[in-house]
Amino acid sequence: MAVDFLLKIFAENKSKDAIVWNGNTFNYQWIIDRFHEWLAKIAASGIQPGSVVVLEGDYSPNAIAAFLALIQTGCMVVPLTDFARNQKEEWIEVAQGEYSLVFSDSDEVKLLKHPNVASHELYGILKKENHPGLVLFSSGSTGKSKAIVHDLAKLLKKFQVRRKNFRTLTFLLFDHIGGIDTLFYSLSNGSCIITVKDRSPQAVCQAIEQHQVEVLPVSPTFLNLLILSEEYRNYDLSSLKYITYGAEVMPEATLKRCAEIFPNVILLQKFGITEIGTLRSKSENSQSLWVKIGGEGYQTRVVNGILQIKAESAMIGYLNAPNPFTEDGWFDTGDAVEVKGEYLKILGRKSEMINVGGEKVYPAEVEGVIQEMENVADVTVYAEKNPLIGNMVCAKVRLLNEEDRTAFTIRLKNHCRSRLQPYKVPVKVVITNESQHSERFKKKRNYTI
Amino acid sequence: MILKEQLISVIYQAIDEVNAVLPPDQQLEKSIHTVLFGESGKLDSLGLVNMIVTTEQKIEENFGIAITLADEKAMSQRNSPFRTVESLAEYIPQLITERQHA
Repeated sequence: MAVDFLLKIFAENKSKDAIVWNGNTFNYQWIIDRFHEWLAKIAASGIQPGSVVVLEGDYSPNAIAAFLALIQTGCMVVPLTDFARNQKEEWIEVAQGEYSLVFSDSDEVKLLKHPNVASHELYGILKKENHPGLVLFSSGSTGKSKAIVHDLAKLLKKFQVRRKNFRTLTFLLFDHIGGIDTLFYSLSNGSCIITVKDRSPQAVCQAIEQHQVEVLPVSPTFLNLLILSEEYRNYDLSSLKYITYGAEVMPEATLKRCAEIFPNVILLQKFGITEIGTLRSKSENSQSLWVKIGGEGYQTRVVNGILQIKAESAMIGYLNAPNPFTEDGWFDTGDAVEVKGEYLKILGRKSEMINVGGEKVYPAEVEGVIQEMENVADVTVYAEKNPLIGNMVCAKVRLLNEEDRTAFTIRLKNHCRSRLQPYKVPVKVVITNESQHSERFKKKRNYTI
Repeated sequence: MILKEQLISVIYQAIDEVNAVLPPDQQLEKSIHTVLFGESGKLDSLGLVNMIVTTEQKIEENFGIAITLADEKAMSQRNSPFRTVESLAEYIPQLITERQHA
């Protein structure tokens, strides 16, 4: 059964900490006990192998035990966090959710039955093999969210290889491929996860100090906020060994500053795609954006500058979109990359590329350069249509302290001119007070026309 | 009613801002006869786009009116409104009038 290997690991680590939640610590024995209770509860509630069950919660001990029991039962699990509240109804409908287990802030649970019948052919494939499934939603930054179905028996296979044991903070969300990866990596090594309710720099730093966190998996946007907040000065973060980052392009200035602030921490780029899973990756060094990705079960190739991946544990398909794989089974990531021997550098999403009179501009590169400037808190680079050159590069900037718009614009353009080709220099500069990241700590880039 | 002289002074403000980021050989002179784009003009296409967008921003800052200078209408004029400082100053009131009647 899909989680038997985990139960074996739990049994070996019975008295060890498994989860720190709301200031309380739960050990692996607690998880084992609760897991068996959940198996019984699931059977008694009418949930069958193959049922689609929405797990509404976060990394709470009870939700994690239920998650494992649903997998063992052979259910299709749809994790949803409160961050998805605006899309919840739509997503439950798309996933054909038959039941919801709703976990409250105090980790109490409510079972709801939905009027849906799970009849999608992808579920049929899984049911036939008696495999549990996982449904995740793409962020939908470009259009409608896609419902991605994974075969959990295959996805969990890579966790059967034992790796290092680290106390890890679960920053990435429960319904995100990176969050799922963090959870199963920790459980499969008998490690402890430290959960946080509030993902602000202050709360995260406090949790690191209090619970001796060793691995911090975050997004570059969060690292920017951490640098600007200077909260790292107020806490003892010496337990940190690794900061892993992914989900969006890392600005060079942010990486450099992080390496200065955390000289004893190894900074690693992670590469996860909801459709493919998280690949093993190795950064050239802590200050380098060059990364080697792959690992067992993954092959990579670059076609027309775009990264393609073939994975044994790739999703089986979308519930609400056509199959995106090439005939020979490769997945087009849509990520433009530069290649240097075995290393790759992620330039940005092909869909976010700005075409200025035939020249390509990736917003992330320009944002990285602007972020090097004094008095810049946050920046988003986007395109506006222009009849002369097709599109023009625009920058929306939030400043730390007030500065005259004209003076700042001149300063920004001169800085960019010294670092970038002329067509990459923003033409229009807008100063804003708005924060430019989503609740999921990813950059909002929906200004593009 | 915005006077042509007021518009020229606003265009000069835009020239100051654009000059601050242009290389020495592309600096624009503050004169109504200065060629913005075309024969004997110093700006390349990116320079012109910068000049246009900066002028739009200056008009908004000075008069509180948001206009788009470079659009299909501008491209379809018999005489390019972006030829000289003077032709630009003569084109802007048309846009403002249209905007006010829209």
